[in-house]
Amino acid sequence: MLKYLSQMRPEKQRELVLLLLICLVVVFFAMMIPHYLNARLFNRVSTSVAIMAVLAIGQTLVVLTRNIDLSVGSIVGFTAYFVGQQLSHNNDIDPLVAVLMAIGVGALMGGFNGVLVAYCRVPAIIVTLGTMALFRTLLVEYSDAQTVLTVNLPQWLLDLPRLNVMSHGRLHLRFVVVIMLSVVILFQLFLRFSSFGRKLYAIGSNPEAANNAGFPTQRIVLISFLLCGALAGLTGFLFLARFGNITVVAGIGFELKSVAAVVVGGVNIFGGSGSIFGATLGAVLIDLLENSLIRWLQISEFWRDALLGLLILASVATDSIFMKRIRLYWAKRHAASTNSNS
Amino acid sequence: MSLKLKKLMGWEGFLLVVLLLIISVNSFHSPAFLTVENQVNLFVLSVEKIIIALIMTFIILNAEIDLSVASMMGLAACALGWMVESGTSTSTAIGLCLIIGFLGGAFNAYWITVVKLPSLVVTLAMLIGFRGLARVLIEDRSIRVFPPWFENLGQQPFWGPLPLSVYIFLVLLVISVLILQYTGFGRYVYVIGINQEVAAYSGVRVARVKTILFMMSGLISALAGILFAARLGSVRGDMGLGFELDIITMVLLGGVSIFGGSGSIYGVILSILIVLYLRNGMSLMNVTGHIQTGVIGVILILSAMIPNIKTWLEGIFEKKYAS
Amino acid sequence: MYKKIISLIAVSALFFGATVMAHTIAKKGMKADLVLMPKFLGILVFDQANNGAQEAHRELGNPGKLEFLGPTPENSVAGQIEILTTATTQGQDGIMISNNAGDQIAPAAKAARAKGMTVVTWDSPIPSGDGEQLFIAQVDFNETGMVMADMALSILGPGGGEFAVLSATPDAANQNAWNASMKEHLKDPKYSKIKLVDLVYGDDQSEKSYNQALALVDKYPNLKLIMAPTTVGIAAAAKAMQDEGLCDQVKVSGLGLPAEMVSYTLNGCAPEFALWSFVDLGYLSYYATYMIATGQIEGVAGETFKAGRMGYYTIEKDPTRDKGLRVKMGPFSVYTKDNVEAASK
Repeated sequence: MLKYLSQMRPEKQRELVLLLLICLVVVFFAMMIPHYLNARLFNRVSTSVAIMAVLAIGQTLVVLTRNIDLSVGSIVGFTAYFVGQQLSHNNDIDPLVAVLMAIGVGALMGGFNGVLVAYCRVPAIIVTLGTMALFRTLLVEYSDAQTVLTVNLPQWLLDLPRLNVMSHGRLHLRFVVVIMLSVVILFQLFLRFSSFGRKLYAIGSNPEAANNAGFPTQRIVLISFLLCGALAGLTGFLFLARFGNITVVAGIGFELKSVAAVVVGGVNIFGGSGSIFGATLGAVLIDLLENSLIRWLQISEFWRDALLGLLILASVATDSIFMKRIRLYWAKRHAASTNSNS
Repeated sequence: MSLKLKKLMGWEGFLLVVLLLIISVNSFHSPAFLTVENQVNLFVLSVEKIIIALIMTFIILNAEIDLSVASMMGLAACALGWMVESGTSTSTAIGLCLIIGFLGGAFNAYWITVVKLPSLVVTLAMLIGFRGLARVLIEDRSIRVFPPWFENLGQQPFWGPLPLSVYIFLVLLVISVLILQYTGFGRYVYVIGINQEVAAYSGVRVARVKTILFMMSGLISALAGILFAARLGSVRGDMGLGFELDIITMVLLGGVSIFGGSGSIYGVILSILIVLYLRNGMSLMNVTGHIQTGVIGVILILSAMIPNIKTWLEGIFEKKYAS
Repeated sequence: MYKKIISLIAVSALFFGATVMAHTIAKKGMKADLVLMPKFLGILVFDQANNGAQEAHRELGNPGKLEFLGPTPENSVAGQIEILTTATTQGQDGIMISNNAGDQIAPAAKAARAKGMTVVTWDSPIPSGDGEQLFIAQVDFNETGMVMADMALSILGPGGGEFAVLSATPDAANQNAWNASMKEHLKDPKYSKIKLVDLVYGDDQSEKSYNQALALVDKYPNLKLIMAPTTVGIAAAAKAMQDEGLCDQVKVSGLGLPAEMVSYTLNGCAPEFALWSFVDLGYLSYYATYMIATGQIEGVAGETFKAGRMGYYTIEKDPTRDKGLRVKMGPFSVYTKDNVEAASK
């Protein structure tokens, strides 16, 4: 098993470990909770993770370049409100235009972060701590304490969350889940096979070296923030579709949730390593834990967060210890083979 | 002398100018600003945050971060209420809560120094975890069982016009300055922050320094939680929720680099004053809520841009001068 | 003015005996700088309360200022304490607080009282009553529990069934009081067929409330009703049931805003819910605070005053708390498919 694992790229190994963890969690809760393993579980987790996974992918792009974006929660809130407001005023806006509007507004906000980080050379954590407050202020001022109301939204948007692409018995593959999956696959391929993707990793693992090698570091960092903002905008749209009534508190706390998904997903917080697929699995694992804990009758309302914190820590630690073992094994084998060669 | 002058010209000097500007605008706009009552209040209202900002300065200088401080505040406060309610004497309970803080910090330190997980990851998990434990103890209740002496400690002046918590802050401030500027430990904090590997090779016991810092962070957060409980006279599960970002903002505005190794405690003191005076001034002018946080956000970004603009301008100047 | 009151007292004493005090009618144009403080900014119901207070402010011709100041949702507790303390420093004459800080605001409120400021709470009181002169109760908190139990009974029908409560945060004093009173009422044999199976928290966040609502359905296969005494919770729960096609199986009820709930009431997901008018609540709070701050009433039990268009109200001991006075506004408006559309406009 270890031998087989060691022949894969480290990211692949990490994803496998995460998949294993997810299976373990499912098996554990299936033993604990009656009627746990059924089609509903898939429907619940897949639809609720769709929102966080898209956001986590954006966060991953930024974290890979050794930066962080704490303003994503405010971007989600603002775009959800802004697009909701436009759609309430004008029900005839084309669905595609609405989505593009959300992505565009998000990209604009992300671009603002990106310019400050890449060209004004302000550390990302400072910029995004600032814009987290700033974008939220914009939202509160813009909203004038009015709520986006479900009743004013066009029918297609209200139908979107229950739109199935495929159904097998009670197992539904929802449209929003398909959106999420397409984003995952698109960005996974993009990072793996484009030169932009390779540069992203290079900058994260060693910014100076990347600079010396003549990479357009600034432009790439800007683009990563821009894409993160765009994905946060898309998340805002999904948020609007799922919850309908939008107030100024929309998306509060999403920044730390997205960071949690990214780090559980094995993306190195200091940049340079990790994958889109991993971050998605991280989001799935956290969502699965949350959704299962609230269904576990033996666990009172008040124990849930304490357990969630410890389980997140445990899963990151398991992952890290596992990876260390694999690396050690690989190093030994490598040493042995070079010895025998010489 | 010249060194001091240089310092005044640098970041701290800039912050000082900003601070004086804010103070003069405030006193011009609001007659209530310069009253003793207001000056005391503006410190008391945030004293728990600024106490934690001191230890956070050490942690960030060390190129680490502790996101669990506010949750530890809540846990210590709730544990205190829970213990006093179930019959422990208040002073014993205070001691036990400080131990809880210490152990919580040690728990963080274990995962960071032994298992070698990034501090952001560990403390993010414990931000959820410690808060969860506070909830387990208190559930949906609000506990107000403290003896009068404990409440007076938090609410009445201790000596002169100031309550005990402000004196605790001042004592911790002096200790922080002494440790950072004049001891070997303080130097290690900087050295590790600049480059952990190099520090390890040159014989600095990195893990020990980090462990001490996180233990102190837990201990001081617990202390802040106890002071918070005394000031408010009762405890609830949501105490201190979200304070961590305010605290980190103060430290970063003080010019401490998030990548560790550079920045000074003097800058943090000035930035604490700037944030407090700015908030107070805006509140007195009836500007509250989001505008306040928005303004502080903009100032945070601008302040970090100023040094870059300065180097940029210098570059232009030098070019002209050369030609 | 005082003469008038004295003569009124004399007259009423003649008629009703000494226990009845004066009916004070507000004298217009007296100066009082007042602050209306919501739990936090940016929420519709609090803005409605502000509209009501502004209406009363204009009506009374108060030459002072009425400020609407609130914290951000992320910093609600510390922010409310800070605003109250600053208002004391500024020398404001009175403040109206929708308290989100529980008893933790009591020390700051006591300090404000010591400086002679009028402190009135509305929407959510200081549970211990310390530092607060008067609480303007939207409805009787015991009645809230009964209305919740009654709506559950009416939706579940004579056959009864299982239901669960989806509350806001574990720290919301008014929510906790309502839930406790509902549990008390459920002991009545009238409600013997309906069974409360769980109480969970959605923290007044859409996403958490939505997931909690679905988890309730998964946890209790026989669940027939989710009762959410919070405007965020009820809307999120109704959306969740609608999205998962569960409206026929599980109904939603509780306290909600007609504008947010209208579509769910019409399609049967939330056949019945209740609320009170926040505009009136702001209006009444303003009248009471203005009259106490300008010394027209003292704010003691037994006093009766006229709150403009809303008529007469009497200050009484709050029966739902150990200590503290209240003015009860009431009544509940219960919304069904017959009246929800008109109310949502």
